[in-house]
Amino acid sequence: MINLEIKKLNKHFGGVKAVDDCSFEIEKGSITALIGPNGAGKSTVFNLISGIIEADSGNIVFSDRDIVGLSPDKISNLGFSRIFQASSLFDNLTVENNLFLAFDNEDTKFWKNLLGFNKATKIKKEKVKEMLDLVDMEKFRKNPAGDLSFGQKRLIELIRAIINPHSILMLDEPVAGVSPRLREKISKILLKLKEEGETILLIEHDMDFTLNMADKVIVMEKGIVIAEGSPEHIKNNRKVLEAYLGE
Amino acid sequence: MIFAQLFANGLIAGAIYSLVALGFSLIYSTCNFIDFAHGVTVAVGAYLLYFFFSLLGLNFWLSVILTIIFTGLFGLLLNIVVFKELRRRKASNLILLTASFALLIIFESLILILFGADVKTIGYIQVSRGLDILGAIITPLQIIIIIVSFLLLVIFFFFMKKSKIGKAMRAVSDNKDVAEIVGISAERIYNWSFFIGSAVAGIGGILVGLDQNLVPTMGTGLMIKGFAAAIIGGIGSPIGAVLGSYLLGFGENFGIWYLPSGYKDAIAFVILFIFLLLRPQGILGKKK
Repeated sequence: MINLEIKKLNKHFGGVKAVDDCSFEIEKGSITALIGPNGAGKSTVFNLISGIIEADSGNIVFSDRDIVGLSPDKISNLGFSRIFQASSLFDNLTVENNLFLAFDNEDTKFWKNLLGFNKATKIKKEKVKEMLDLVDMEKFRKNPAGDLSFGQKRLIELIRAIINPHSILMLDEPVAGVSPRLREKISKILLKLKEEGETILLIEHDMDFTLNMADKVIVMEKGIVIAEGSPEHIKNNRKVLEAYLGE
Repeated sequence: MIFAQLFANGLIAGAIYSLVALGFSLIYSTCNFIDFAHGVTVAVGAYLLYFFFSLLGLNFWLSVILTIIFTGLFGLLLNIVVFKELRRRKASNLILLTASFALLIIFESLILILFGADVKTIGYIQVSRGLDILGAIITPLQIIIIIVSFLLLVIFFFFMKKSKIGKAMRAVSDNKDVAEIVGISAERIYNWSFFIGSAVAGIGGILVGLDQNLVPTMGTGLMIKGFAAAIIGGIGSPIGAVLGSYLLGFGENFGIWYLPSGYKDAIAFVILFIFLLLRPQGILGKKK
């Protein structure tokens, strides 16, 4: 079943076509990897989907609804969750509060706060504890997020994205720059999510990691989708080798 | 004796500045632009109290509550009608600042048209002899100003620390894009900031209006001091803005121990310059 459909998406930055007539589909319950050399437009596609930048033309259809032009928070609340390439925790809040903020989207509505219905419920607390245990970071829950190391921040970002209610999880280079041990840990978490039927869209430079993980691989170069298929198919694709090796 | 009096005067001045700086700094920290229209919000508060209490003759406390609510709504309306529309058109922060200046002038003029240029007094509090506390003469109202300002600071501190809205405000202030990705509506948080910040300005307007006379331009002077206090305290840190307000209040008042009192404003800005030169991030601000 198709969960997300990108149709002829275009985005220019000045004279540069960052995303050029880009089209692809994402199946429900699968891991789709977006790969390509630096500057291929992968992160731009992510930003277009999450509404941080607006497409020049084209459609992004999510459960029969075109989401182009919606604000990022509306798109998030429709069921998108993501992590960024660069660290993106709220440094001045505690680890725990970073996670609580991701939970629900109704909590800043006027009437809810007037009546005081915004307590962190038991269910939420348990979920936060469970996720922190999953990454062995329970003891850091009261620490300001800004004090964490790079690897720890990546883990908290990952579990924040998982906690944020969603039907599609978008991960922009989740293992870039982390230690091999941490990479193992993140792989395990992602594979577990896959077993649970999560739909994941992944950007990653690490080829081994990506080809092990993905059901489908989409290769981009200079804003264009140049190849698409199973990891085996992509490994032997001449165009992809050319894009990466410049032959 | 002189010390006690100057200390009391500094405390009163600091309390008044902090009522302006707190809301201003809150709006700056979440919305990330300098809102000079906050000055006229204080004047709107004072004139609303005059309107409800002195003109309509409503009960005093009812007038106070109505004034706080309507001043909050006034700020909210400015945000929705002007600033939100400008943001939607991708206006830069400089444009927003310019627009806020325009609003300051427009609404001061509007107050002038509606209420006239002559000085107004609310006249709820009879002119009373000040109390003698440790040799300083201070009126009961001034004591209330100090207490209210302190209470607001404490409430505000816990609000930002504990409430969901407060946390969401800190999240938006920290990184707006990420907050939206997590599903927090930045626009809704901007609305909250304007409503709460302006309601605090309304409380400031009420207290200043009871203590002093009302003139349409009363907000501008307070805004300039509140702005200076916010920078000294660390722009974007509401708690810092309050600290800056007291530093400014004490600096001004102790400064005139040695200098003619006409130099009061100059002293305030010398303090500002010293901070900009030596500690530009302010008392609580983080180095960028």
